[in-house]
Amino acid sequence: MSEASSLPAGTLCPRATKSGASYGRRFLAALLVSFFLLPFSSPAQLYQGQKLVEATLLADTTAIAPGQTFRLGLLLRMAPGWHTYWENPGDSGLATEFEPQLPPGFAAGPLTWPLPQRIIEPGDIQVYAYKGEVLLVRTITTPADLDTAEISIPAKASWLVCEAICIPGKADLQLTLPVSASTQPANTELFAKFTAQFPSAGQPPFTISWNATPTGWNLGLRDTSAARQADFFPFADDKHPVGHTAPRDLVAGAADLAIPVAGSPPVRGIVVLENGDRRGWVVASAAGTPAAKDTPAAAKTGLWTYLLFGLIGGFILNLMPCVLPVISLKIFGFMRQAGDSRANILKHGLAFTAGIFLWFLGLAAVIIALKSAGSEVTWAFQFQNPWFNYVIGAVIFVFALNLFGVFEIVLPGRATQGLAQAGGHGGLAGSFAQGILATLLATPCTAPFLGTALGFAFSQTSVVIAAMFAAIAAGMAFPYLLLSAQPGWMQYLPKPGAWMERLKQFMGFPLLATLLWLLYVIGQQRGTEAVIWAAASYLCLGLAAWLYGAFLGPVSSGRARTLATLAIVFSLLLGLGYFTGDLFARSAASKSQKAAAIPTDGIPWVPYSEAELQRVLAAGQPVFLDFTADWCITCKFNLRTAIDTKAVREAFTRLGIVPMLADWTNSNPEITRKLAQFDRVGVPFYLFYAPGKADDPVILPELLTEQILLRAIGAQP
Amino acid sequence: MNILGKTTLAFFLAAGTALAAPEVGQPAPAFTLTDSNGQAHNLSDFKGKFVVLEWLNHGCPFVMKHYDSGNMQKLQKEYTGKDVVWLSVVSSAPGKQGHMSPAETNQAKEEKGSAATAILIDGDGTVGRLYGARVTPELYIIDPEGALIYAGAIDNKKSVDPTDVEGATNYVKQALDEAMAGQPVSTPKTEPYGCSVKYN
Repeated sequence: MSEASSLPAGTLCPRATKSGASYGRRFLAALLVSFFLLPFSSPAQLYQGQKLVEATLLADTTAIAPGQTFRLGLLLRMAPGWHTYWENPGDSGLATEFEPQLPPGFAAGPLTWPLPQRIIEPGDIQVYAYKGEVLLVRTITTPADLDTAEISIPAKASWLVCEAICIPGKADLQLTLPVSASTQPANTELFAKFTAQFPSAGQPPFTISWNATPTGWNLGLRDTSAARQADFFPFADDKHPVGHTAPRDLVAGAADLAIPVAGSPPVRGIVVLENGDRRGWVVASAAGTPAAKDTPAAAKTGLWTYLLFGLIGGFILNLMPCVLPVISLKIFGFMRQAGDSRANILKHGLAFTAGIFLWFLGLAAVIIALKSAGSEVTWAFQFQNPWFNYVIGAVIFVFALNLFGVFEIVLPGRATQGLAQAGGHGGLAGSFAQGILATLLATPCTAPFLGTALGFAFSQTSVVIAAMFAAIAAGMAFPYLLLSAQPGWMQYLPKPGAWMERLKQFMGFPLLATLLWLLYVIGQQRGTEAVIWAAASYLCLGLAAWLYGAFLGPVSSGRARTLATLAIVFSLLLGLGYFTGDLFARSAASKSQKAAAIPTDGIPWVPYSEAELQRVLAAGQPVFLDFTADWCITCKFNLRTAIDTKAVREAFTRLGIVPMLADWTNSNPEITRKLAQFDRVGVPFYLFYAPGKADDPVILPELLTEQILLRAIGAQP
Repeated sequence: MNILGKTTLAFFLAAGTALAAPEVGQPAPAFTLTDSNGQAHNLSDFKGKFVVLEWLNHGCPFVMKHYDSGNMQKLQKEYTGKDVVWLSVVSSAPGKQGHMSPAETNQAKEEKGSAATAILIDGDGTVGRLYGARVTPELYIIDPEGALIYAGAIDNKKSVDPTDVEGATNYVKQALDEAMAGQPVSTPKTEPYGCSVKYN
């Protein structure tokens, strides 16, 4: 929300008269008279001598044209620290009301609300409100014929304004406008400023998905381009109170927002993306309003994609060296047992398929159980946790090494034997057991894929997990089922050979590509250094995997085994303890410090801290305070074009201005507080503290030019 | 690994604290609070009776709406007359709006004509937080078996205007009448409206 000083006191009504001036002196006089005759058009709510809220009625036009529309706005300006409420006030408070009493023939549209702020009070009481000033707007449709010279529109407004305590306020307002076919825009800045904050009812330019969870909804956002943080504000639903959504940082354009509401009823609200400025879109869950109709389809596409990949992945498992030779053996086995009866061969094929399904659905059940043991909330935000990304990366890397043949995964002998015995009996039960056995035997080749699928499956709902694993099972069972139905087609099976080993090795590369993506995400979260430390840790893991594969095989001597075990322990300790536990863990802190300390440009920036700022100000020095962040493109643009220029650098030096940089790339509570002090929730933001004006800094515009900056700091007249 | 373990633990803890508020249909959390006359009340003392918890702050315009119109007192009289225990709870922290000493509490009770069974003083906000009370007035109804059967607003007219009391659907009256007639509560949970509870 903007700071109150953007609109000097008393400009509102004179502005209305000024726009009337283009209409001729007659109207100017008339409007001036009506302004003075109607002292209630801008009444203030007083509390213990303090002006809490000033309410003003205004229009975006200088005159009312017949048969047209115009916008009528209620401007509330709150005293610093006080807030009024959004249409859903949140945990406490009351929505502001604004009801124009229109003359006959006029019609008013619904009330439009700018994006609210989230304000958190003690006890985790969260409200959705406005600070500074807010403009609530209704679109008014005028009748086709109007035969009066002017129209007076009275309006009733009532609100609750709160700080530590709450005071209700109300006002009877009136706006008088001339009737004319030709109109000029009025109050354009105000309307433009708040129109930009109205949520859009159109299709959002990102993908959304809704998944019901035990605690409400999980709202998934994907492909949000450059935005930094996502938030959700629910519309009010009396019967189904919606809890607070915690805002989430977007990582690689994705975030999952938890919307707590008992029983997952239909929910509507506003998704707000923040990237210096804030933009909002109205969204609705499945079974909500017509606006929501597109979202289930989008979610379905996502599910079908998963299933297709599961199917393909399951099918590819058959081409692995441990699996392919088994296929023809199995089919020949069915044929022998069934005595060449086509129907019986198919029955065995079906029993075998059932075994495969049981195995994979069992795996899915284990994952779902694990997932429910941790809470839904915990797993939904995993990719925002660099530690999670690090662990998944390590698993993927080790699996890739396995595919490259650095080491083999050996199954415990006893389990294999038990199943083999079970499968040894003939009949359909035997084929069923063999289906389980075949998948188990295939584990050394399939583990890398299943493990990766498992990692990603954790972020999905139980239904998606089960469906995905069923698809993998279907993909894997497909050739057996097909060949048991058409045994003659066995001649088309590719011959086992060295190509299978090559295929296995090749499959390691897609896994490494996935690892690159994870490292990119880690880099976004914790900076370049974190990527290096994670990679160093993976290197140690790789060394351990190689030692395991090379020296811990069944043929190694006892001494070699002991030495290799020691070396493995050492490299794991180095990797996990030193690189991960120490360096990676500290990387986040070091990033923010370094970013501020190393000047990225020609200006000798001093890193911001409130203590440093107060020290410099106390010394009577002027300060230019730049709130910026690496991900803020406007900030970078301003830096290149308006701040880091020869003229500005010279002016800073000549006038002894201390350039101070508040880097908000990573969350920094001190900077957030400082921004909040000026009712800001984002960057860029620029302050100039003139000499001796430590308490009253000048706020510079967000779109800065060199000339504006030079004038503000007094380097130019 | 240690740090990883701590991170995981922190996640689980964070997820746990978010689920503090009791659910309708579940047992109401037990508590003991001292009233304005210095007498301690334990929720279990009232087993076998319906109990209403009313979060109270006489400085709040929403509370004033229901006391100045006489609406709250009328409800209190009607149901305490039917052997319902009505406990008003003040969770305002000392120094914040609505907090009162025991003497001031009794004075206010007399001036407002409150017919509550007792006014409980919860200055550190423990019981307020236990129940997840967010606003004043916010009302909870507990059945004779100790289960929470209603949580939310007093009625469906979100305003500070005393004239809105007439014609509003009073959820508390509705829930008590239904439950006392042995029927299930038709609207067991509503979004409460009011001022924030002034926790410390």
